[in-house]
Amino acid sequence: MNKKKIFKLAKGFRGRAKNCIRIARERVEKALQYSYRDRRNKKRDMRSLWIQRINAGTRQHGVNYGNFMHGLMKENIQLNRKVLSEISMHEPYSFKALVDISRDAFPGNKNVVHPPRKVDISALNV
Amino acid sequence: MASQAASSAFNGNMKKALAGLKRINLDGLRWRVFDAKGQVLGRLASQISTVIQGKDKPTYAPYRDDGDMCIVLNAKDVHVTGKKMTDKFYRWHTGYIGHLKERSLKDQMAKDPTEVIRKAVLRMLPRNKLRDDRDLKLRIFPDSEHPFGDRPLEAYVMPPRRVREMQPRARRAMIRAQKKAEQQEQGGNDKRKGKKREVEAELT
Repeated sequence: MNKKKIFKLAKGFRGRAKNCIRIARERVEKALQYSYRDRRNKKRDMRSLWIQRINAGTRQHGVNYGNFMHGLMKENIQLNRKVLSEISMHEPYSFKALVDISRDAFPGNKNVVHPPRKVDISALNV
Repeated sequence: MASQAASSAFNGNMKKALAGLKRINLDGLRWRVFDAKGQVLGRLASQISTVIQGKDKPTYAPYRDDGDMCIVLNAKDVHVTGKKMTDKFYRWHTGYIGHLKERSLKDQMAKDPTEVIRKAVLRMLPRNKLRDDRDLKLRIFPDSEHPFGDRPLEAYVMPPRRVREMQPRARRAMIRAQKKAEQQEQGGNDKRKGKKREVEAELT
């Protein structure tokens, strides 16, 4: 690569790595390797983030992620995790309907986690 | 009125209790109250750390801090199982050679009971740049008074816990201790010796 291309790719790097060709060349090679690896990692990370969000959403209704997905598989609902996480964030009532479907399909599911909390202001003020 | 009286009851800690509240950005956050009375230390800290990270909300994002404010009351009444009260040590090294200091749980509770819960929760949070901001969201009080009476507080219901059944040897020891305590009240040396003989016959 000629130097111009390297410096173009090295924008925003720290210290001498954006200005001096020898260092910039190393760092740019490393950066390209990281970006290759992370294009594959991004798919994993995003899926993990969707699963965390779905877990949080279902635990608010008393079901955990594993049982929820098992119920959905049983009912042959083929929504993927990306869509499920979007639903849990933006469409709470639809998500509750899905949780209820899953809970009926898989009757081990009663109250896995704590029941919904009550607001208890006066009891705790001195 | 009552809240004013309560808040002026611990004037010394008022600064610490309200420290850095301005630095916490959003107030779309809820104020959750945990009652530590009778709770096991680690299990309580695990729940607190989940709430502080914001992992119970479906809008969780790992790059920003969205957790609720957590207030912990009755920190001096937190339980630990086993012999941890005397045998759990907090150790730290001061940097000078040979200066490894340690302090047991009992001494730490005598000195500052809020530190026990704070250390437990902090060590359960991920070690990243958000950790210090999350520390600001955690307010611990040794008894049940706090200056946040005027905020909209919500109590946190701990999930039901399956307490493990006692191991047979521990249970026998507990029964023996109970019977010994009963008989000491009645006061009889001969009866005690007879009890020991009975227990030995049971074991063999």
